[in-house]
Amino acid sequence: MSVVWKDLRRLVLGVVAGGLLILLPFYAGEYTVTTFVRIIYFGFLALSVGMLVGQAGMISLTQTAFFGLAGYVIGLLGAERGMPFPWRDLIAIAAVLVMALLFGLVAMRTHKIVFLMITLAFGQICWAFAQQNTSLLHGWAGIRGIRPPAIAGINFNRTSNFYWASLLIFALGILVLRLLARSSFGLALNGIRENPRRMAALGYPVYWIRVAAFLIAAIYAGIGGLLATYNTGIITPTTIQLSRTIWVLLMVILGGSTYFWGPVVGTAVAVWLDVLLSEGTERYNTVIGVIFVFVVLFLPGGILSISDSLRDGRGFPFWRRLYARKNSG
Amino acid sequence: MEKKMFKNLFVFLAVLIAANSDVRSAEKEIKVGFISAFTGVFSSFGQQQKEGAVLALEEANYTAGGDKITVIYEDDQLDNEQAVTKAKKLVVQDKIDILTGLVSGDEGLSVGDYMKDKNIPVIPMYSASEDMTMRAFYPMIVRATWTGAQSMDVFGYWLAKVKGWKKIYAIGEDYSYPYNQGGGFKRGFFRGGGEEVKTVWHPVGTTSDFSSIIASIPTDQGYNAVLYNGAGGDAVNFVKQYVELGMLQKIPLIGQSNTFEKPDVESMPADIVGSLSAHHTADDLATPAWTKFKEAYHKRWGHDPSAASEFAYSSMRLILRGIDRQKGDISDKPALVKAMTQVDMSDDPRGPVALDPKYHSAIENVYIREVAKDDKDQLYNKGLWTVKNVGQFGPYDPELYLKQPPDTGSYPPDTPSAFAPEMLKAASEYQYIPFGQ
Amino acid sequence: METKLLILILNGLTQAAIFFVLGSGLTLAFGLMRVINLSHGAFYLLGGYIGYSVVHATGNWPLALIAGGLSIALLGFLFERTMLFRVRGGDLPETLLTIALSMIIADVSLAIWGGHPLTLNVPAYLNPRVTIFGITYPGFRYLLMGISVFIALSLWLILYQTKLGAAVRAGVDDRETVSALGVNIDAIYSLVFVLSALLVGIAGVLGGSYLQLSPGGDTTILTYSLVIIILGGMGSLLGTVVSSLILGQLLSFGLAYAPQYSYFLIFVPMAIVLAIRPQGLFGREL
Repeated sequence: MSVVWKDLRRLVLGVVAGGLLILLPFYAGEYTVTTFVRIIYFGFLALSVGMLVGQAGMISLTQTAFFGLAGYVIGLLGAERGMPFPWRDLIAIAAVLVMALLFGLVAMRTHKIVFLMITLAFGQICWAFAQQNTSLLHGWAGIRGIRPPAIAGINFNRTSNFYWASLLIFALGILVLRLLARSSFGLALNGIRENPRRMAALGYPVYWIRVAAFLIAAIYAGIGGLLATYNTGIITPTTIQLSRTIWVLLMVILGGSTYFWGPVVGTAVAVWLDVLLSEGTERYNTVIGVIFVFVVLFLPGGILSISDSLRDGRGFPFWRRLYARKNSG
Repeated sequence: MEKKMFKNLFVFLAVLIAANSDVRSAEKEIKVGFISAFTGVFSSFGQQQKEGAVLALEEANYTAGGDKITVIYEDDQLDNEQAVTKAKKLVVQDKIDILTGLVSGDEGLSVGDYMKDKNIPVIPMYSASEDMTMRAFYPMIVRATWTGAQSMDVFGYWLAKVKGWKKIYAIGEDYSYPYNQGGGFKRGFFRGGGEEVKTVWHPVGTTSDFSSIIASIPTDQGYNAVLYNGAGGDAVNFVKQYVELGMLQKIPLIGQSNTFEKPDVESMPADIVGSLSAHHTADDLATPAWTKFKEAYHKRWGHDPSAASEFAYSSMRLILRGIDRQKGDISDKPALVKAMTQVDMSDDPRGPVALDPKYHSAIENVYIREVAKDDKDQLYNKGLWTVKNVGQFGPYDPELYLKQPPDTGSYPPDTPSAFAPEMLKAASEYQYIPFGQ
Repeated sequence: METKLLILILNGLTQAAIFFVLGSGLTLAFGLMRVINLSHGAFYLLGGYIGYSVVHATGNWPLALIAGGLSIALLGFLFERTMLFRVRGGDLPETLLTIALSMIIADVSLAIWGGHPLTLNVPAYLNPRVTIFGITYPGFRYLLMGISVFIALSLWLILYQTKLGAAVRAGVDDRETVSALGVNIDAIYSLVFVLSALLVGIAGVLGGSYLQLSPGGDTTILTYSLVIIILGGMGSLLGTVVSSLILGQLLSFGLAYAPQYSYFLIFVPMAIVLAIRPQGLFGREL
C-alpha cells in the first residue's frame, strides 16, 4: 500500500467518523447525546490523567481536584455573583493554573509511587476542604443552579447545542494535545518517562518540563470540569471524591494508557458500561470490579492493545498472557 | 497503528450508536422513575425506601387506573451529580411519567432543580429539605412526607414549655438536613421559653471517634440535655461513645428524628432507654392501619418497618391513587398532580395525612417518643404524646416564615435574643395528646 | 478542665492505637514490595464484618478477633498468590488491581451485611469502667492500647531479632542484594503481604467494636491509613508509631476545639512534611 493511499484512507475514515459525531443529534436519541457529552467531559479528565501517565509516567490522583475547582469557581462567580461569560470561565482556568503551579512545584520533586501518594493526599485535602467549608462552598450541598451561557443568541441549555459546543472544544483539545505530543516538548517528556537522569545529564530542565506538563494536564481537567458543571448544573464535593479519581484512572487503563486515543476510548467504554450495568443489576460495582481485574491481569495494554496484537500475529492478548504464564511458572 | 486506532474508534462509535438508538414500546404502561442511594453511605435508607415502595406496588399488583406500572430504579450513590445524571437519563431515555425516590435533602434539591421545567410530577419520599416545598417549590412537586423542621419544632416547644428545659447542647452532622432539623428545634424551643441551644457541627461520615467532642461538653453549665442531630453510622458511634464515657449519668441524651430510628437503634447500647425524640411515626402505634402495614411489611421483608420505609410506602400509594383518580389517563400532568393532592390519605399507616393545597406538603401527626425495650430485649421507639395536624409551617404564618432566611449551619442563632421577635410570638399552640388517644 | 485535657489525651491514644494497627502492616508491605495496597480499607471493613458475624453467632469476642484477622490474612494470601504476583513491579497494574479488589469487597459486603451500621458487642468483662486518677474511662479502650502495644513489640521482635526480620529489613533497604543472598524473596513478599492483611483484619474487628462498620467506611479508613504511612515515612515502623501518635492527638484535639475542620486538619502535618521532606518523617529516600 502506498503512503498516499494510506493517508487517503485515514482521511476518509476520519471524515466519516467526524461526520457521524457531528450529526449525532439528528439520528440518535437525546439520551445518547447526553451520554456523549458525559464522555466528552470525562474524556477531558481522562486525557489529563492519560497525558501524565502515558507520556510522562506520572500517576496523578489529583486531577479531579482541578476538575472540581473549575466547577466551583464558575458556581461561585457565575451562579452566585452573576459574573458573565467568559470572565468567570477564564478566572476558573486561571485558578486551576495557580493551584496546579503551587502543587506542581512541590509534587514534582518526587517520583513514581511517592508521587502517586502525594497526589492522592493533595486530592483528599481538596475534597475534605470542599466538604467541610460551609461558609463559602456550602459543604456537602455544594452549589446549584449553574447554567451554560447564551452566546450570540445560541441557547446552550439545549442538549444538542451544548453537545456541539463540547465536541468542538474536545476536537480542539485533542488537536492541541496531538501537536504537543509530537513537539520537542512531547519528546522530552517521553525521554523523562524512560530515564529522567539521562535527560538531566543531557541538559534538559527535567523539573520544569514536568511542572509544565502538570500545568497543561491541569488545564485539560479544568476544561472538563467547566463542561461537566454546566451540564449537570451543580458542583458538590462528591465530584472530587476519591472514588471518582480512581474511576478516571481505571478509564485510562481500560483504554490503554500508552496509546494516544486510549483515554478517550476507555472513557467511552466505561461511561457506557456504567449506564448499561447500573440499569441491569444492583451489584454493578462488583461486575465493574471483576472486569477491571481481568483487564489488569490479561489485557494490561488496554482495549487498544487488542488490535496491535492481532495485527502482529500474536493472537488475542488474553490467551498469550495465559500461555506465557504457564511456560514461565 | 495510527490508522487501526482510528478505525477501531470508528467501529466502536458505530456500535454504540446502533446499540442505543431509542426504541419506543407500544404497550400501554406508566413509567415511574425511582432515584435513591442503594449503595454508599446512605444505602440503608435507600434500601428501606425501596422495600416500602415495592410493598405498596405489590399490594396494587403493579397496576393503577387500569394501567401497568413499571418502576425503573436508579442508584445515585448519594452523589448529587449522579442524581442529576440519573434524573436526566430517566427523563430523556426512559421517558418517565413520574419521578420519585430521593433520600437526602441535597439530592432532592439538586434533582428538583433539574426537573423544574420538565412537566413531570416529582414525589420526594424521604428528602426533607424544607425548601423543596417552600422557597424552591414549583407546582409539579408533591411531598406527602415531611420537612426537617416539622417534627422538631413540636419537639423543641414541648421540651421548653412542658418539661421546662432551658439549655440544650446540640451536636450535629454538618449538612442541610440536620440544619433544617436543628432550625426547627430552635424555633420551637425558643418559642416555648428556651434560652440557649449551643450548636456544634462535625463533618458527616468521616468522624469516627466522637469521644473528644463528647469530652468537650461542659457538665457544669446547666445544660438540660445533649441533642445529637445526626443519623446512621454517625449516630451509632456517637450514642455508643456517649454511653461508654459515662455521660448518660451526667446529662440526658435526646435525638433528632432519625437518630434512634430502626434499624440503627438496634446497634445501640440498651442504656439509652428513655431517650427522647420526635418523628411522624412511632414503632408501637396501635391503629389498625399501622398494624396491618407493620405485619405485611414484616411478612414481606422479615424485619420491622422504619419511618423511611413507611414514607416510601405512603408516597407510592399516593402515586397509585392519583393515577386511579385519573382513571389511568395521565397525559395531563398538572391534572395528575391536582388529583394527587386530593387523594384521601386518612388511612395512612402513620396516621391521617392531608396535603396543603398551596405548597403540596403534608399535614400530619407528630409523635414524641422515647427509646424503650420490647419483650425480646430489642430497642424501639415508644410513643408518648401525639400532636395532630402539624403542617410544614408549624404554628407560624407562612408569609412570615418564608421571610426568614433558610436554615444553615449558622442560622438560626444559638440564643433567642438574636432571633426575629415576631417568630417567637406565633399565635396558635400545639395540643399534646397522650399517645394512643 | 484538667480532666478534660487528660480525657482528650486518652482519646488521642486510643485513636493512635487503631492507627498503628492500620498503618504498620501497610507500611511494611510498602517498604518491601513498593505496593500500595488500596484495598486496605476494604480489608478493614470485611475483617470487621466477619468479626461481627462471629460475635453474633457465638458471642465470643476473642474468637471474633482471631477469625477476622485470619480470614483477611487468608484472603490476602490468595490475592497475592493468584493475582498480585503476576503484575509485580508495575506500579500502575498493582495499584489498579488492589482498587478493583476493594470495589468488589465493598460491594459484596453491602450485599451480605446490608447498608445499616453494625457494631460488635464487646462483652462486659472486656469493657469495665476503669477509674484511674479520678478519670473514668472505658476499659476496652485501655485494652485496645494494650493490643496495639503488644503488636508493636511483636513486630519489633520479628523485625530485629529474627532471621526473617533481617531479610525483610534488608529487602526494605535494597531489594537486589536480598535476591543475590539467596533468600527466597517471593516467599518473603507473600509473608509480609499476609502479615499486613492479618493486621488490618484485626484492626477491623477492633475498630468495629469501639466504633461501627458501614458502607463508605472503607474509603475513610484507607485515607487514614495512607496519611499515617506518608507522614511516618513509608517502610518505617518507628515512623508509623510516631505518626499514629501525632495524628491521634491531632484528631482528638481537633474534634474538641475545631470540630468542623477536624477531618481537614489531619492532612495539615502531612502537607507540611511532604513539602519539606517528601519521604516522610522516618522514611528513606525512594
